[in-house]
Amino acid sequence: MIPGSTRASRVVCGALAANSPSHEQRDSSSADNRTGHSVRRGAERCTRRRARSPNSALAVLFGLIYFVTNSRAAEVIPPKPDRYFNDYAGVVSKETADRFNHQLAEFERETSNQFVIAIWPTMPSQSSIEDFTQRTFQSWSLGQKGRNNGVVLFIFVNDHRMRIQPGYGLEGALPDITCDDIIRNGIAPRFRQGDYVSGLTTGIDLIFKAIRGEYKGVGKTVRQLHDERSNPIGGLAFFVIFVIVLILIARLSRKRGYSYSSGGGPFIGGWSSGSGGGWSSGGGGGFDGFSGGGGSSGGGGASGSW
Amino acid sequence: MNKFAIGCGGVVVILLFIVIIAALALGGIYNRLVRLQQSVDQSWAQVQNVYQRRADLIPNLVNTVSGAANFEKSTLVEVTNARASVGRVQIDPNKAPADAAKLEEFQAAQGQLSNALSRLLVVVERYPELKANQNFLSLQAQLEGTENRISVERGNFNTAVQNYNTAVRSVPANFVAGIFGFAPRPFFTAQPGAEKPPPVNFNFGTPAPSPAASATP
Repeated sequence: MIPGSTRASRVVCGALAANSPSHEQRDSSSADNRTGHSVRRGAERCTRRRARSPNSALAVLFGLIYFVTNSRAAEVIPPKPDRYFNDYAGVVSKETADRFNHQLAEFERETSNQFVIAIWPTMPSQSSIEDFTQRTFQSWSLGQKGRNNGVVLFIFVNDHRMRIQPGYGLEGALPDITCDDIIRNGIAPRFRQGDYVSGLTTGIDLIFKAIRGEYKGVGKTVRQLHDERSNPIGGLAFFVIFVIVLILIARLSRKRGYSYSSGGGPFIGGWSSGSGGGWSSGGGGGFDGFSGGGGSSGGGGASGSW
Repeated sequence: MNKFAIGCGGVVVILLFIVIIAALALGGIYNRLVRLQQSVDQSWAQVQNVYQRRADLIPNLVNTVSGAANFEKSTLVEVTNARASVGRVQIDPNKAPADAAKLEEFQAAQGQLSNALSRLLVVVERYPELKANQNFLSLQAQLEGTENRISVERGNFNTAVQNYNTAVRSVPANFVAGIFGFAPRPFFTAQPGAEKPPPVNFNFGTPAPSPAASATP
């Protein structure tokens, strides 16, 4: 073996090992967690092999440094949410969250306006609240294409800050003064008393009242239309066939007497369970799941604190 | 003889073919440049739009603030003058400026207005009756929203210009650009005091940073 190549593989192992805890810490979808597990399995295998080499600590160190600097450099825009109501801070109960989510999904069916609420413990960005909201809005592409009728309510619980930002198409119905008024007189006083549910209910009602009637919906959400077009039964059948083929390949190769290295088995297991999780979580969005419609925002709205 | 004719015909056909392909390719490049230029002009219109929005807010803001008992007149005069000088820099709102000096002039005038406004908002901190004035509060909310819109649209404009300039300068589009006169466009640059919205701080409890420090380089 060439010495250079072993060093390279060690560094990769180090990076894998360094990556795995981050997957566990991050509060993300189950598919991500699964891949995290399989990566970790891979990393454990690496560790075992690496234990023989004296430079292993150095490799891990480099991996860690690489990972840390990388995560600092890249600004994190939260991934597109699966739901309309996203409580990452855990300030309301599951039932209330489902109720809000259903309300917001119904609102899109009725008016085609996409209203998404996200509650974080702290702001996931070093930038200003306006800048963060703008970039997240664009990345989630809220509102229907052409109408740009999206609106977000972002709340950062520990920062005591919030922001309402409409897309271009709702700036008329939801001007800055109205956003400011909703925050200042509707939501903030209730949040100040610690009553998040009542504050959110008021905020949702006031925003509904302001933007209802601006556009007419088609009775279906973007997500529903998309699911119908992509024909989920075809996808499921493809997935089942794929799994069967995988199993067949695994059996055939075992019969022929190929002895797999200890890594082979877990790898296939990890992979298929990962994609299975991804599938079921995709379906878990269900009837009230959310997908962005392709709208954009010009930075209107208001921020406030409580 | 016969063979020669066939050979000539073949060459002609091949040449014709090459010419057609080249014309199609040139047309495609030309259309792409036109599209990119259109998007630059479109985002320029948006930039003008939001700056105009801010300028329109100012008379109302000045009226409301001057209603407050013995309000400092010098800051108000400064804002009014800056607003007037912004009005003097006329750029066609439907066509992005091709001249870098023109854009710089526009940017300088707007930057002056930003500074004057931020100074005004700092002075307002000393007038509790204004801070309780509903009219003033709503003007502040609009001003804050407008400043944010300005920074968003400036960013969009710069992105559009960057895409266009990259296309104009890269091979082979630069030949087409040279023939048809597609020149690179200037974009907003960061200037001291003008590159960011003024520090509009609406938390009345905390003192805002002094604008004088950022105004003088």
